[in-house]
Amino acid sequence: MAVLELHQVKKSFGSGHKKVDALKETDFIADRGELIAIIGPSGSGKSTFLTIVGGLLSPSSGDVVINGKNLTDLNEKQRSQLRLKEIGFVLQASNLVPFLSVANQMKLLDKVKKGNMSEMDRNQLYEELGIADLLNKYPSDLSGGQRQRVAIAKALYSNPSIILADEPTASLDSDRAYEVMELLKNVTKQKKTTTIVVTHDIRLVDYCDKIYNMTDGVLTETEEHTNRSLVAEESR
Amino acid sequence: MFLAWQEIKKNKLRFTLITGVLMLVSYLVFFLSGLATGLADLNREAVDKWEASAIILTDESDKSLPQSFMSIDQLEDIDAKETAVIGQLNAIASQGDNKQNIALFGINQKEFLMPNVTEGRAFEEAYEVIADGSLKEEGFELGDELTLSSSDQRLTIVGFTDNARFNAAPVLYTNLSSFHQVKFGEAAEQNNDQINGIVVRDDSISNLTENDELESIEIETFIENLPGYTEQKLTLNFMIYFLFGISSIIVAIFLYVLTVQKISMFGVMKAQGISSSYLSRSVVAQTMILAFIGTVIGFVLTLISGAFLPAAVPVSFDLALMIIYGLILIAVATAGAVFSVLTIVRIDPLKAIGG
Ligand SMILES: Nc1ncnc2c1ncn2[C@@H]1O[C@H](COP(=O)(O)OP(=O)(O)O)[C@@H](O)[C@H]1O
Ligand SMILES: [Mg+2]
Repeated sequence: MAVLELHQVKKSFGSGHKKVDALKETDFIADRGELIAIIGPSGSGKSTFLTIVGGLLSPSSGDVVINGKNLTDLNEKQRSQLRLKEIGFVLQASNLVPFLSVANQMKLLDKVKKGNMSEMDRNQLYEELGIADLLNKYPSDLSGGQRQRVAIAKALYSNPSIILADEPTASLDSDRAYEVMELLKNVTKQKKTTTIVVTHDIRLVDYCDKIYNMTDGVLTETEEHTNRSLVAEESR
Repeated sequence: MFLAWQEIKKNKLRFTLITGVLMLVSYLVFFLSGLATGLADLNREAVDKWEASAIILTDESDKSLPQSFMSIDQLEDIDAKETAVIGQLNAIASQGDNKQNIALFGINQKEFLMPNVTEGRAFEEAYEVIADGSLKEEGFELGDELTLSSSDQRLTIVGFTDNARFNAAPVLYTNLSSFHQVKFGEAAEQNNDQINGIVVRDDSISNLTENDELESIEIETFIENLPGYTEQKLTLNFMIYFLFGISSIIVAIFLYVLTVQKISMFGVMKAQGISSSYLSRSVVAQTMILAFIGTVIGFVLTLISGAFLPAAVPVSFDLALMIIYGLILIAVATAGAVFSVLTIVRIDPLKAIGG
């Protein structure tokens, strides 16, 4: 069974002549352990797609099915519970709380999500993400790359089946960006998550199993090899 | 609480400022309440000491003791458990250059208006008085002979009592015949039945008298009708109520600014599944922590500065009232957090994503 399925999902904003079809009818399917990239220019509908998948935004029509559950059948509360359990977000620059130390960022989730992560699992996560010695630091003391590692740790907090990352490398230089992608890849493979990374940075697609292109609200899968050579050409 | 406290710890300066403002407001509130209580005491402490339930005055006097003139025979018209007659006269008492506004009370030594003696002894002979202790601070002593502005008679202080000021004037207690001599001079003989009122102790204060010329007034009503009493009280209480409003507005503005600065952070937290109610509770808890700290510091400061004030400043701290005001301050400050809560509830987690 696929972890995530979209059937004829469509989203428009506004009405009349101001109407914007941010996302045209889209079918999409993703499995465990897949790292998927969605690339496309600014304004093409990437974030709209991601927020619909994450259950933060309701589609105008169509169905989103996560682990066999159709989001349209759930009420608001059930949907946010599903979000808490199944989905981890990694956002642009930094989704860290500025006045909490790294350890307390996690402790906050502990309180809100009613602690479903053991001390041991947590320490292991810190080791894996290479943030074990940053626990007493505040976000302002961290480099951009370190911040995104902590952000990924937060996203992984309750062992979600889906990780959604919107431009996770936007604020990083190339080396740090590659590091973060490497990390997302490892996490995806080890924890068998479905990871969707939205980016307009085509250098990063090398790390991904599948690449989709978003143009004017239309999502199309790019054939892997063509894309690789395409990337190689473009980056020269 | 966790989030609230961590933020306070990390942003000490910011939150110290808010706490500081709350501290100053509470300091002002406590001080004004001390002043209000002090001024009230100044007017009423002698009356409070009577532990009476009502006072009978003439109907014509409009609840004013000095304007009420009656005969001691009217005691017969009164049906009460305990009664005590009182004659009253305002005057300037002086000894040398030391002049002081006083109230002279003529009373019956065997009745309950007789004050306790804290120093010296009770009056026995004619023209002996028990004086309010506050006169000691004005330089009067046991054995002093006082000249009165309205009389040739001199009065001798033989004892002191405490907490005996009436309408801001220290009271001199003496017996009725000395009072008549002072008040009527040569006409004292003809007027030796004249008194100003009859103070009553009883469980019920209705039907004390059937005499139409007399009016029985509940003690609290009598106090409220003392000249200036209600006006002073209202003025100070209004200032206190305004301060409650002001502190609520100040906190509302401060918190709102802080909340607006954190909108995108709250959006991110909401996207991660942290509920509006958790975030709102955190802001409310934060406000309560700050208001509590500010109020407690204001309270302590008030007591400290009260201890250093000169005796002439009429402050008196009613702890129960101060605690109530402190709780109200914390409550209104917390109410100021409501705008921030509304803002938080309205934040759309979508805004945190993409862009
Ligand atoms: N809340 C909204 N209201 C109206 N239009 C929106 C809204 N969100 C996105 N859009 C429009 O939808 C289109 C896609 O936006 P978005 O998904 O954010 O693109 P991307 O993330 O690829 O830059 C854009 O034209 C944008 O202006
Ligand atoms: Mg976007």
